[in-house]
Amino acid sequence: MAVTETPPETVAAAASATPQARPVPATGLAAVLGSGDHKVIGRLFIVTSLVFGLGVVLLGLLFGFEATSSATLDVFGSGSVFQFFSLFRVGSLFLLGFPLVIGLAMVVVPLQVGSRSVAFPRAAAASYWSWLMGALLLLASYAIDGGPGGGRTTGVNLWIASMGLIVLAILLAAVCLATTVLALRTNGMSLARTPLYAWSVTVAAILWILTLPVLFGELVLAYVDHRHAGQSFGNNAELFARIGWVLRNPTIYTLAVPVLGFLADVIATSTRARLAMRPVVQAAIGAFGILGFGAFLVTSSPDALRPPVVIAFGLAAVLPILAVVILAADGFRRGKPQLNPGLLYALAALLILLLGAGAGALGSIPGLKTAGTIFDLGVSHAILLASVIASLGGIHWWATKIGRQPAKETLGFLAPMVLALGSAVVVIPDLVSGLTGKDGSAELRPDWTGGIEGLNVIVLIGTVIVALGLLLAIVSLLPLFKRSDQSPQDPWDGQTLEWLAPSPPPLGNFAGDLPVVTSPEPLLDQRQES
Amino acid sequence: MSAEIALTGAAAAPPARPRVLLVGTALAGAAALMAFAGLIGVYLSERAAATAGGAAWLPEGSSLPLTPGNMAFGTMLLSAITMWWAVDAVGKNDRQMAYLALGLTMFFGVATINATSFLFVQANLPVSSTPGVLIYTITGSLIAMIVIGLVYAAVMTFRTLGGEYHDRDREGLTAAALFWYLTIAAHALVWYAIYVVK
Repeated sequence: MAVTETPPETVAAAASATPQARPVPATGLAAVLGSGDHKVIGRLFIVTSLVFGLGVVLLGLLFGFEATSSATLDVFGSGSVFQFFSLFRVGSLFLLGFPLVIGLAMVVVPLQVGSRSVAFPRAAAASYWSWLMGALLLLASYAIDGGPGGGRTTGVNLWIASMGLIVLAILLAAVCLATTVLALRTNGMSLARTPLYAWSVTVAAILWILTLPVLFGELVLAYVDHRHAGQSFGNNAELFARIGWVLRNPTIYTLAVPVLGFLADVIATSTRARLAMRPVVQAAIGAFGILGFGAFLVTSSPDALRPPVVIAFGLAAVLPILAVVILAADGFRRGKPQLNPGLLYALAALLILLLGAGAGALGSIPGLKTAGTIFDLGVSHAILLASVIASLGGIHWWATKIGRQPAKETLGFLAPMVLALGSAVVVIPDLVSGLTGKDGSAELRPDWTGGIEGLNVIVLIGTVIVALGLLLAIVSLLPLFKRSDQSPQDPWDGQTLEWLAPSPPPLGNFAGDLPVVTSPEPLLDQRQES
Repeated sequence: MSAEIALTGAAAAPPARPRVLLVGTALAGAAALMAFAGLIGVYLSERAAATAGGAAWLPEGSSLPLTPGNMAFGTMLLSAITMWWAVDAVGKNDRQMAYLALGLTMFFGVATINATSFLFVQANLPVSSTPGVLIYTITGSLIAMIVIGLVYAAVMTFRTLGGEYHDRDREGLTAAALFWYLTIAAHALVWYAIYVVK
């Protein structure tokens, strides 16, 4: 289609790499609204998702407060608590998790593979504006008493339509990102030589492409059903349960695949060594993605979790993470580790990811009967928080490519530790509540009384710590908005091509011709040669 | 902080024009097929649950005649041949044959939509019933995919006729053809699951 065609100016920029041949970049509002530059689109995704993220964390705080004494406290009111709960769950994934991961990938992936543009730049821009429109309509649907459990039919229909728009926008972004890596890599960069972060984004994007359309189909089905006053597929409240498979493991693992790629890239750079057994790391990242394929749960029946193959997949999901951990530890042993905020963020994200995937594996054991309990919520929160921590770490790590200045280093050391602590304190009590299997553990009860009240106090404390960590991370990133003439090109002695681009990268990304890539670490090659 | 690294070394040869559109279309087509796979999975699951107790699947007075469904699918199969013909004709720089083949493809696409709408009339299926919701959603989505495929093919045809694509570079038309073949694959799924199995 015309909208997905590479625009002539991009083709021209790709064909002629000389700086003079590039068009003059637009300025002011036009540079934001009309831009097909992947860096602008990525920044928009990042900033907007963090704004929505603060709202999601605030909702989490309110729920945490209510859950400490659900019998006496009535923060939301019994008529609207389920709507707010669904907003919290859907918002944490579709207004924070996905767009934050996509935003970072949108900036970094084309730079890493040596491309002068993202594939289909206009479609990439359309993905952001469609997502933003969908997100605002989603909030509007709740404002008019819509959403799952809502009392107004038009509001529920608007919720379904806005969710469909958000899913389409994410799919569009996924197609752009995967195509960039599959078709726009620079000369000499085979898939085996692709930087591991870009590789992990490709794996995640392909899994989204194979999973999210199933959700889209279900939303179309729900829309047709509701639009024609039918209740063939359940009432308004049951609508949320039908899309619950996207919010739980294994599907939610696909959001966390880039955590492994970020970790591998940062560890290789921070230890100043080539990653040993790189193909094994690539295979592990691919395997984690494949094990996150959860579209078979579309029927939302707990029976879908019982076949031995599904149980085996659930148990196996933790193995690729362990493989990456072992190879990363080997990197520490062989190299000269240098502590930096990126490394701390990566390790914090890994810790929480291991907690989530480990709990997910535990939950796969049939005798424990954790399906549908607050245990699932704990696993989902762990995976989501791991991907948010890794994304914030990525923004810190690639700050000079995303913004105008490096991020604040001191706060960058502090934020990941606070976030990791808060995440563990949020997740572990929910896992314990789910394992005890008490009556109040059902995750999807319309009146939301999940978890054991004593443990819910700890969850509230954890949520406060997460909010503090998020604020610290955001404050550490504020210098990215300040103008600077002296932003370092390569502050970490990077190994991959993005560090060849000026900081901040201009339109077209690179100031000259790129050399032919002959290994996965082209900049390390250059340093060793010189 | 390290010293800045200059862009040195042997400059890369100008890259061959990548098959970006083809890769993007394949990914988008895979997404569309997954949407149909999910919908048909729900259809078969609901149908199995409804008929498990011996009840009829379709409401009383409704039916799904096989003839219009067969005609629609047969027409789509014919369009696969004409689409291949169009790509081949552009490869041989034979513009007249390319016009004819793409025109026929569009004709077949419109004929398929016509046959499906005829089937809707014949079926007499209320949309508010469970089978009605499922069947109209799935077949409606298929019609949407056919329309997207037709628009895509038309745009690429105009671009080809405008000189953007030619015998040595027919990526746009090949991408449109790929999407069309995936549409036919989706139609095959729908044809078997809904029209044959009912």
